[in-house]
Amino acid sequence: MKGSVAVVGGGIAGIQAALDIADSGFKTYLIESRPSIGGVMSQLDKTFPTNDCAMCILSPKLVETARHPNIELLSYSDVKSISGKAGDFKVKVIKKVRYVDETKCTGCGSCTEKCPSKVPDEYNAGMSKRKSIYIPFAQAIPRVATIDAAHCLYLTKGKCGVCKKVCGPKAVDYEQKDKEIELNVGSVVLATGFKPFDPSELKQFRFEHPDVITALQFERLLSASGPTQGHVTKQSDGKVPKKLAFIQCVGSRNLRINRKHCSSVCCMYATKESIIAKEHDPELDITIFNIDIRAFGKNFEEFYNRAQREYGIKYNNSRPPEVIVDANNALSLKYEDFNTGDLKTQNFDMVVLSIGLDPADSTRTLAQSSGIALDDFGNIATSIENPVETSVAGIYVCGVAQGPKDIPDTVAQASAAASKAAALLSGERGTMIKERKFPDEKVLSPEPRIGVFVCHCGINIGSVVNVPNVVEYAKSLPGVAHAQEMLYACSSDSQVTIKDAIAKNNLNRVVVASCTPRTHEPLFQNTCREAGLNPYLFELANIREHCSWVHMKEKEKATEKAKGIVQMAVAKSALFQPLYKQKVPLINKAIVLGGGVAGMTAALDIANNGYGVTLIEKEKELGGKLREMTELYDGKNPSDVLKELISRVNQNKNIKVINEAKLTKVEGFLGNFKGAVAVKGKEIPLDFGAAVIATGARNFEPVGLFSYGKDSHVVTQAQLEKMLGKGISTNNITMIQCVGARNKDREYCGRTCCIDAVKNATRIKKANSSANVYVLYRDMRTYGVMEKLYENARDLGIIFIKYEAENPPKVQGGSVVVHDSMLNEDIELASDLVVLSTPLVAGENEEINQLFKIPLDKNKFFLEAHPKLRPVDFATDGVFLCGSAQAPKLIDEAISQASAAASRACTILSREFIETEGAISVVNEGRCIGCGTCVAVCPYNAPSLYDVTVKVEEVTYTTKKSKINPAACKGCGSCAAACPAGAITAQHFSSKEIGEAIDAFDKGVRSISIGKGVVEVTV
Amino acid sequence: MRRVSKTSPRSSIYNANVYGLDTKDIWTCLTCGLCPMECPQQVDFLSFIKEEREGKQPLEVAHLGVFTELADLSSKLDGTAKPESGDSKYGYFPGCVDSLGLFLHDVKTDFGEITTSSLKLLDKIGIKPKVLQMKCCGHDVLWQGKKDVFDRLKNYNKKYIKESGIETLVTSCAECYRTFSKDYDLGIKVVHTSELLDKLGLKINADVTYHDPCRLGRHMGVYDAPRKALTSNGANIKEMEHSKENALCCGVSSFMNCNEQTKALRIARMNEAEATGAKTLITTCSKCLAHFNCLKTEKDAVKKYDFDVVDLSVFLARQLEAGK
Repeated sequence: MKGSVAVVGGGIAGIQAALDIADSGFKTYLIESRPSIGGVMSQLDKTFPTNDCAMCILSPKLVETARHPNIELLSYSDVKSISGKAGDFKVKVIKKVRYVDETKCTGCGSCTEKCPSKVPDEYNAGMSKRKSIYIPFAQAIPRVATIDAAHCLYLTKGKCGVCKKVCGPKAVDYEQKDKEIELNVGSVVLATGFKPFDPSELKQFRFEHPDVITALQFERLLSASGPTQGHVTKQSDGKVPKKLAFIQCVGSRNLRINRKHCSSVCCMYATKESIIAKEHDPELDITIFNIDIRAFGKNFEEFYNRAQREYGIKYNNSRPPEVIVDANNALSLKYEDFNTGDLKTQNFDMVVLSIGLDPADSTRTLAQSSGIALDDFGNIATSIENPVETSVAGIYVCGVAQGPKDIPDTVAQASAAASKAAALLSGERGTMIKERKFPDEKVLSPEPRIGVFVCHCGINIGSVVNVPNVVEYAKSLPGVAHAQEMLYACSSDSQVTIKDAIAKNNLNRVVVASCTPRTHEPLFQNTCREAGLNPYLFELANIREHCSWVHMKEKEKATEKAKGIVQMAVAKSALFQPLYKQKVPLINKAIVLGGGVAGMTAALDIANNGYGVTLIEKEKELGGKLREMTELYDGKNPSDVLKELISRVNQNKNIKVINEAKLTKVEGFLGNFKGAVAVKGKEIPLDFGAAVIATGARNFEPVGLFSYGKDSHVVTQAQLEKMLGKGISTNNITMIQCVGARNKDREYCGRTCCIDAVKNATRIKKANSSANVYVLYRDMRTYGVMEKLYENARDLGIIFIKYEAENPPKVQGGSVVVHDSMLNEDIELASDLVVLSTPLVAGENEEINQLFKIPLDKNKFFLEAHPKLRPVDFATDGVFLCGSAQAPKLIDEAISQASAAASRACTILSREFIETEGAISVVNEGRCIGCGTCVAVCPYNAPSLYDVTVKVEEVTYTTKKSKINPAACKGCGSCAAACPAGAITAQHFSSKEIGEAIDAFDKGVRSISIGKGVVEVTV
Repeated sequence: MRRVSKTSPRSSIYNANVYGLDTKDIWTCLTCGLCPMECPQQVDFLSFIKEEREGKQPLEVAHLGVFTELADLSSKLDGTAKPESGDSKYGYFPGCVDSLGLFLHDVKTDFGEITTSSLKLLDKIGIKPKVLQMKCCGHDVLWQGKKDVFDRLKNYNKKYIKESGIETLVTSCAECYRTFSKDYDLGIKVVHTSELLDKLGLKINADVTYHDPCRLGRHMGVYDAPRKALTSNGANIKEMEHSKENALCCGVSSFMNCNEQTKALRIARMNEAEATGAKTLITTCSKCLAHFNCLKTEKDAVKKYDFDVVDLSVFLARQLEAGK
């Protein structure tokens, strides 16, 4: 067994898997084929359904990956093959030739600027040009240049060589060759993602026309970092389009070209892109032509409704067969109007093809070369019970490589795969990671002796800001003992220079004036630490992003501004004091609330990672909702699955099950929770380090709807499921979808109901081919590979009839009358049994949310920390979420989430101690009046109140005082800003430090004049 | 009266005048005006404090000084609002209820309701005032020693009032009332809303207690008008142990101190209010209101006070709405 894991694919799936595995104490190799990690998510402008900026949420993850001491990043590298067995795999990796030495390149961009050769830019989906030597996008990780050998003039024709000449650090090397390396790892996670469908295969959509573009291209047009800086213009003439159409399911749900799957994300991305386009240009007229709108995820239906209600986006439930290009090269679409039954034609300025997700070529070749089974669709094959396990033990899969899915489901699966890999290798945890050793810290002399290092960043800063001038100015500032310029402050030789300067000049504060602290602060903090300075004695002055990049054309003013920025950093740094991270011991045990399939899976995964788990179930027996099921959608018997799962739980010596129990008390924080469980009238104390909430959901009882409760022939889908266990003899069955869902009272989509209905309709029809089975639906939402079930059901002769929400079916003794919205006619269906498909609704979540102080959403499901990238986390550290307690989901999805929650919990349980942040907030108890404002504003539950008796002269009263738990505090400073008594200090960002910085700048200001749209400040 | 602060008027005057020792006492003083009531020599201690503080840096300002910064900033900006046209001779100034509502949202008090209620009540008695959109009256900055900021605000507001052409300035805030009356020289009549509300004809029939804000009470000598506004409308006043000239301070002190002493003051006063058994504590100053309600809405409150703290105008307007 090896304590290391190879993650193949550096998109969001691979990144999340790598971070979780590395955080759990394993050496991790992250292998990415492209020059930068980030995958397709890095190309997205926004993410649905919150319209968060994709890069803004992804970029911190990229940086975290690059910084992680346990992750070794192999970018621009392909995996050739995987051999061996669980615990001991050999992974052959080709490190493709970059012609640039990664260790020397500082990413300054001088080479790119001078390179004469232009190539279509993949990052902008071919809509702009990049150079032959390039960094794929501004936030790329690693930030090193790559030469595109196919287009480089030197490599193709032996001419040019400019990049080598201009490269300051001498990183360009035309003699480099591909390198094959072999990694020996204990486990492999495949996160190879997908390939966007190439629509030129479907000639009828006329993709060769410049104004017919893919949705990914449209996404780039919307993005501020895209080819048109976010202005949507036609590719043909650069004009602003007035009418725009989306065509859904291009390369999905298409038997003819062997794309039988639904791509799961296109309905929502089309909706998102339409909303953003309307936000840019409210006059734009947008129609989305679709088969069904599949808004099945959490808050998706609400998003879809808002698109129509607030943005006036039109959805047309008819999909045009082709794009028509007339003699003038104008575009039009022909479609059927179901309201009138007429064929209609509309002209459009631009047509966006909502292209599907194809399995990546690399997935197929790697699977074939390594003997990993694929499913019918070309995805890595898995099963419902083991949704991240491939056919080869020890190799796991996550993300779209396993089947089409959106980002949160991908992230959950990534954590799930991490949990499995970590469980397999739990005996080797921590064996292959190293801890850095530093010299002792120097004793701090009382007077500040500040060193200022001003970076040219190649030409990034130096060509705009007069760096020597800034250095001279810095020397004149109070407390500055040394100042110098540097060509690249971040290069490795510069670190030596900084360390020498610290020693020689006895510096006790360091200011580097260069770029952003987000990427570079840890590097310089490390350098300070190596020179014996506390890392919190360092300050970065950003004169690149905040100055040279934005004031390129005003060199003199930029120099003055750079001086101001340096002056502020110097003034602030003079007040810095050493800060230390504290080590807090933790309890390496977890609890899991809820003994359904999600809870049992989470418990098993944590136990298999080597940690004790208490599984708390309110009922007499484990099993939850799965106990009520009689067949899984792959035909398996749920009781077999359940029996095996329960026996594995019962046999695991790390798991303790408490039935008929309820958690009644929780105190404490991440790593150190103290709780109590009520069992049969007794209360048992229970201490734990992390908790997983898997309390599930319950079936909605549609009392009063469609004669349910009055007419015994009307049942719910859950009741039918039970009935089918014994078999039914009824001949005419009508199912009604969306009962109690997608309406005013309950806006969300039930997600699982369409799939359940199709599954049960198929069971009836298979048992009795003469049965008449009707499914009355609004949109069939058999997303992903479930589309296959829907297709089979239609083949079997099950009739699907679409109805509109405003005109619901009527149940009248023995028959159902439905207005078929496609035929525009009323149909009467003889029905011996009417089955109502109802959504899952939230269970008794309100007690648990109070115990842990974790939020609920408006439907009373638990609210995760972030809908995209933290789907199983809470903002409160140490508490995790999975299964239908978060929102309705399918069994395999709940299992993935459960493993994910376990993985997240193990990133905590695997630690020897909880290390606090250094720059945290502290309370001056003498000044605290115990009002509790800090408790109310803290997003992390770090402050708490305790009783004290205050005696003020002749008045004695009992009050509270606040204390901040260093293990929970993230140093955000919200409490310090809100405290009415000024009793809280956000260390490293105290009012005094910030105040000194502002005052320093204020002193230098000679005049401020307010002009039209511009404020001129002279220093 | 129980003492909660070591502030000694005598030593602060002695140190400042005789030895020029700028003691802390000039800043810990709440300026509540209680000591001059007792002083046999009738020393004008409040004026002493106000002058002594001028140009000096306060020891601390609560709420990170946000209200002071706002006043300072607004004093430097050109005001754009012009007075309403029309021939009403009354002007109503809402004071700083908006910024109180914005920055003190934790206190869970609708400060804006003071304005709407006051206008409703004025309407009821036939006064249709112009609503004055002036800058802050400058009360807090004046008592924090920032005379320069105060003067800028005052000059702006004086000009505004002159342009508006009003003859009576109505305010529902005790601090505004004191400031416009004593620290401005407007040459027009300044009244507090409480002085106008005795003829609403309400039949309230409830026990209430009344807290005298220091600015309305001891600073301005208005003790009876708010009481009359309550009793003539049917309410029954249950007086606290200390009232009128001897009323305890709420401790807010121009938003300067937020500490154990000021908390002790609030507790002492709220306990007195509780002892009356009344279900409503009424005051006529938005700062007192904020300060008492802050104690009531503490996250993990010292004590559960089972009565409401309400501004006089709000109380009466609610009764009016309820058809009393």
